[in-house]
Amino acid sequence: MKMKHVIWLLVALAVGSCSSCTSSPSSERLPPRVTRTAEPGETEKPIDQKLMLGLSQAMNLHHKAQILASDGDIGSAIASVREILSLQFPANAPEADDVRNDARALLARLLVGQGQLDEAMSVVTEGLAQSQRDSFFVANLMTVKGEILEARAAQLDADPTNKAHAVELRHAAIEAYDASNKIDKKLQDSLTESP
Amino acid sequence: MTDARDDDDDLLTGPVPAPDAEPSAAERTHAKAFAELVDKTLAGRTPGVMNTDDRALLEVATVIRAASGNVELAQPRRRALIEDALRQAVGARALGTSSSVTAIRPSKWKRFAPWSVAATSTLVAAAAVLLWLRAPRHVIELVPTAQLPLTQQSRPADPLVGPIARERAGDARSRIDTIFADRLDGYRELQFRRATR
Repeated sequence: MKMKHVIWLLVALAVGSCSSCTSSPSSERLPPRVTRTAEPGETEKPIDQKLMLGLSQAMNLHHKAQILASDGDIGSAIASVREILSLQFPANAPEADDVRNDARALLARLLVGQGQLDEAMSVVTEGLAQSQRDSFFVANLMTVKGEILEARAAQLDADPTNKAHAVELRHAAIEAYDASNKIDKKLQDSLTESP
Repeated sequence: MTDARDDDDDLLTGPVPAPDAEPSAAERTHAKAFAELVDKTLAGRTPGVMNTDDRALLEVATVIRAASGNVELAQPRRRALIEDALRQAVGARALGTSSSVTAIRPSKWKRFAPWSVAATSTLVAAAAVLLWLRAPRHVIELVPTAQLPLTQQSRPADPLVGPIARERAGDARSRIDTIFADRLDGYRELQFRRATR
């Protein structure tokens, strides 16, 4: 066989292999699947050291805030609770959402006590926006939101010209409470149904 | 009895004479004939027919003469050869300019051979890469038969805390205490399980 023929044969083989691998239907080339038993913790997220560290730090900051608040140092208590929001937790740990939302609820209440209603509302709104799922902690945030709206309405009551706006805020507060109840009920039902 | 040195056929294959031995008549005759043959060859009149021994000797003589460096081509022929070589070197078609020298032209096959080999290699390599990229990968499907107990998993704290009453909305401290204590239990169980496995 001449060299020329050998080269043409090689070219034909190369083109043939390309066309065969591109023309076959994808359904016929499904990757082989291997099934094996998962190791413990491979499909679930086990409680790990990072989670425990985050929870431990959050607990200590809450205790610190309580002591400061009981001493009348509300500003330092607020700062302590704010620190909880920046704690590191494992990625997608459900406890992280819960702990942060609970800290936001407390922070918002402390801010309301200081008359910082706008800041309190901002803390709550951020928490609701960042929540990945419905929880009793989200419902609690909705409750606190209602309280903030009520407090705003109460501030407006002093000026009769703002009466309409105050009524509007109270309606919004009612909606927030309703939303909170709705979440609570939904979760209660699902927890009752599940074994 | 015939002298072995008188035998022409035995000139090359016969015994080697002593250095000081007198040449025989046959040797003299043969030498003279060979000298004439060499002269004719140098003059460009090489006889068409000669015996094998003479041809062999003549070739040796030609090589010795060429090696001595005294061979020179005639001036016109030398010039023609150089011009032809230069024309070929600059790519001009030397055909026809000199009938005496045949231009060295690579055959079509030799010109395209490197490109053909390169193209084929590239195609084969591309095909190999394509096959490798499209090769089915193994997909490992995990069967969660070895599930961790729920108490050892990271999970929402809702079942632990329950609905939060409005009057306890700010009581986050007691809730974090509960969550931490529960997860610490699970974490210890998990560590114990791993240590004893």
